[in-house]
Amino acid sequence: MSHRYEPRGPLGRFVHGLEENVIAILLGLMTLVTFVNVVMRYVFQSSLIWGLEVTLALFAWLVLLGVSYAVKVNAHLGVDAMINLLPPPARRILALVAGGLCIIYALLLMKGAWDYWAPFAGYQQTGGRWFPTGFIETRDRAFYETEQIPMPGFLAWMGDVFNQGEAYEKMPRLIPYFALPLGVALLLFRLLQAVWMIWTGERASLIVSHEAEDAVEDVSHMNRGD
Amino acid sequence: MDVILLFVLIIGLMLLGVPIAIALGLSSTLFLLWFSDTSLASIAQTLYQAMEGHATLLAIPFFILASSFMSTGGVAQRIIRFSIACVGHLPGGLAIAGVFACMMFAALSGSSPATVVAIGSIVIAAMRQVGYSKDFAAGVICNAGTLGILIPPSIVMVVYASATDVSVGRMFLAGVVPGLLAGGMLMVTILFFAIWKGMPREKWQGWAEIWASFRDAFWGLMLIVVIMVGLYGIPGVTKAIFTPTEAAAVAAIWSFIVAIFIYRDMGPLRDGETRIPLWKKPQALVTAFFHPGTRDVLLEAGRLTITLMFIIANALILKHVLTDEQIPQDIAGAMLDAGFGKIMFLVIVNVILLIGGQFMEPSGLILIVAPLVFPIAIELGVDPIHLGVIMVVNMEIGMITPPVGLNLFVTSGVAGMSMMRVVRAALPFLAVLFVFLIIVTYVPWISTWLPTLMMGPEVILR
Amino acid sequence: DPAGCDDGETVVKFSHVTNADKHPKGIAASLFAERVNAEMEGTMCVEVYPNSTLYDDDVLLEAMLQGDVQLGAPSLSKFETFTKVFQIFDLPFMFKNIAAVDEFQASETGQAMKASMERRGLMGLEFWHNGLKQLSANKPLLTPEDAKGLKFRVQPSDVIIAQMEAIGASAQPMAFAEVYGALQTGVVDGQENAWSNIYGQKFYEVQDGTTETNHGVLDYMVVASTDWLDSLDPAVKDQMLTILNEVTTERNAAVNDVDMAARQAILDAGSEIRALDDTQRQAWVDAMKPVWDQFAEGVGQDNIDAAQAINEKH
Ligand code: NA
Ligand code: NA
Repeated sequence: MSHRYEPRGPLGRFVHGLEENVIAILLGLMTLVTFVNVVMRYVFQSSLIWGLEVTLALFAWLVLLGVSYAVKVNAHLGVDAMINLLPPPARRILALVAGGLCIIYALLLMKGAWDYWAPFAGYQQTGGRWFPTGFIETRDRAFYETEQIPMPGFLAWMGDVFNQGEAYEKMPRLIPYFALPLGVALLLFRLLQAVWMIWTGERASLIVSHEAEDAVEDVSHMNRGD
Repeated sequence: MDVILLFVLIIGLMLLGVPIAIALGLSSTLFLLWFSDTSLASIAQTLYQAMEGHATLLAIPFFILASSFMSTGGVAQRIIRFSIACVGHLPGGLAIAGVFACMMFAALSGSSPATVVAIGSIVIAAMRQVGYSKDFAAGVICNAGTLGILIPPSIVMVVYASATDVSVGRMFLAGVVPGLLAGGMLMVTILFFAIWKGMPREKWQGWAEIWASFRDAFWGLMLIVVIMVGLYGIPGVTKAIFTPTEAAAVAAIWSFIVAIFIYRDMGPLRDGETRIPLWKKPQALVTAFFHPGTRDVLLEAGRLTITLMFIIANALILKHVLTDEQIPQDIAGAMLDAGFGKIMFLVIVNVILLIGGQFMEPSGLILIVAPLVFPIAIELGVDPIHLGVIMVVNMEIGMITPPVGLNLFVTSGVAGMSMMRVVRAALPFLAVLFVFLIIVTYVPWISTWLPTLMMGPEVILR
Repeated sequence: DPAGCDDGETVVKFSHVTNADKHPKGIAASLFAERVNAEMEGTMCVEVYPNSTLYDDDVLLEAMLQGDVQLGAPSLSKFETFTKVFQIFDLPFMFKNIAAVDEFQASETGQAMKASMERRGLMGLEFWHNGLKQLSANKPLLTPEDAKGLKFRVQPSDVIIAQMEAIGASAQPMAFAEVYGALQTGVVDGQENAWSNIYGQKFYEVQDGTTETNHGVLDYMVVASTDWLDSLDPAVKDQMLTILNEVTTERNAAVNDVDMAARQAILDAGSEIRALDDTQRQAWVDAMKPVWDQFAEGVGQDNIDAAQAINEKH
């Protein structure tokens, strides 16, 4: 991508570095766990019985936490064929409309993500089909454990907090599933930020624009003389 | 019909400049809230389960990571130099080699997007270097990548076999001849274009360059050997070591090791223009994992994974709509109730799948459509294995036609091209695959000859 | 709508993971839907979603508690997260044959298990048989020593992992879609499953043969959420449960035939099935049975005793 995102200010740089490190670490861990499992099976006739499940959970974390970052650095794929036919003012209006639709998506998903995760942490879901209409009584699902992921000792306090004092033998689902509300909240935040930037003219759209790059590249290609 | 509204909505949102993923997700969510009793929580669950519940999709991030290490770490350039030395002087040579690479890779992987990811970045760069247009290169790879599900092993075939109770082994064998045929047809088309249009080629650089570039690329080329042995084993020496998904992770680790410790084009053993031997800096064994170069490769691969998987996850919400509303069943039911003969039936199956393939990912569509058409096919005397191959070829075409085509998305991401440009680039070769589909549909022998030869005539139950 | 649900009918989504017409579970679910849709016209309408097209077993129960699906029949090991009592069905050689399983499930202990998840929001309705598990590998398995050092693909459950360790083998979790290929190329050596699944998934094609160990139970339980059941009109609920019960009786009685048909189809395909003589079988029992002690506390010794009392009679 030709114009890289540049964070501004110390906080911006810190957050940017954090997001990038988290993405790199999650993908690195997925790869390592899978590789170690291959070695365990072939060389030691054994297995990390939780290997696949952990890898898949990390995969979900990578993608769900990463979508907000991808909004920030404008990496999401889109179709810009029609937009590019329009004059800049119309383009800006369409970008704002598209941004509004994205925010609607994120808001709906925010309710969904909360309603899905909340019972696993013993919290209450929201009522209403489209809009949250307040909290409703929800049956507690905090007992629900993952299939095989072990519960690390330093998280033993979670049994007291979430599971009515009953210790968890396996990691409760509320931990991996937390990627949903967290990821969607971050997505919502980044979308609001992006739309604001479109409003102020700092940003052109919500999708990566290849057409401009293609044009530049085509010209440079001709300049090379072939 | 409601479903037309849904598709108009998806396309409309995309044209407005809404990201593809959100266009799919928002349209499907609105549709589910309006027309079904599905909860928003269930939609969120689908999004999470797109990753957690689809272990076979893991091949995508791992292969992205492997090619990322290969291009950053100098492995890709060395392989490109070797391929140019070998076939760069032939008309259409590199493009044909690209198709061949996709066919080879298809024999390693069960998934088409993974094939595009693994081969695409290297081959497209190589073709650009010789002077092919990016469009031509992307069009070739985008199409040849679909062979991933036709040439065994194939996840889609496993799904078909389990949904219809035919032998997986037979299905795999049935894919071999059509796979070679499709690859051959693509190659011939390229050759034709190359001669007709005078496609660029390099000068023949002699055997010395082949040998020199081979030695230089040796460790990169060894990856193919490692993966082959790992997936199939060596008779009498070892059984297979890993599954196709795990192979992707092994490929990533191998590329990491070669890039950092052997070629030393990146990482702690690289200092400006000098390469430091490992014995002088043994701590690199540890620091390599935390080196900024390693982090940047992981990040780059992570970013592409995120954008592609976000699209796939939202496409699964669309699948949820179609399943929940039983839309494929409705369409198939309406078309099949008319009571056609064998030929017309196969045409109808093709039409159902081509339409369905516009909007759904392959495994999901097969799971829904196969059980519907299978009993009718058997009654009409259509061979189950032949039907399976027809369905797989339809899925291939579905992957490179908009609006939902996984290979289109992946190519767009890998080649850094706009969606519409990839669509246009893929078009000429898409026509080839269409001809191929017609041949496969009307000549059952292509599909059934090898399995019958190897496993004897098929017993059709029921 | 293909199921022909009319306005005013209570729509019941039944989601499962097998085919709709050959697997014991698929057949039973289809029959149940057919009968409800014929006999409860105007009040209730069942839509069956086979082949994991709606939910797979890992998320079915979540979706049910969420209210997005009303009926399902996951394998019994899926309930172990809710209460460990269900581990009794995974314990090796707990039951001699499907008749013993049937009698245990019908006993007071078995019936109590159906209600054991009530506080978690689930209610078991009926047990559905699939059959007893067999063991296969890429070499003949006659004694437990034959399995030593082999890698078996299993459903990751604590009991099954312990069972494999007890015979010196290793348990390997693996995505279901990759199992056939992994058995074919030798990434894993073997697997355990009921006849209908070994036949349906074609595992016998890529194994040296199957050993008729009958070492465990692979059954299902039809469940619904208590919230949904409570929301039904009592008369409607009773009629549905009566139909479900009749379907269960009919299909469970026929399960041996389906099972044996699958077994025969494997033989017809030219794959070998090895029977164990009494000494060989006893060797497997001796090797695996110590696993019981590890899990007796969670399962409840009284439940094990009840199962064994019934088993003695068969
Ligand atoms: Na393949
Ligand atoms: Na398509």
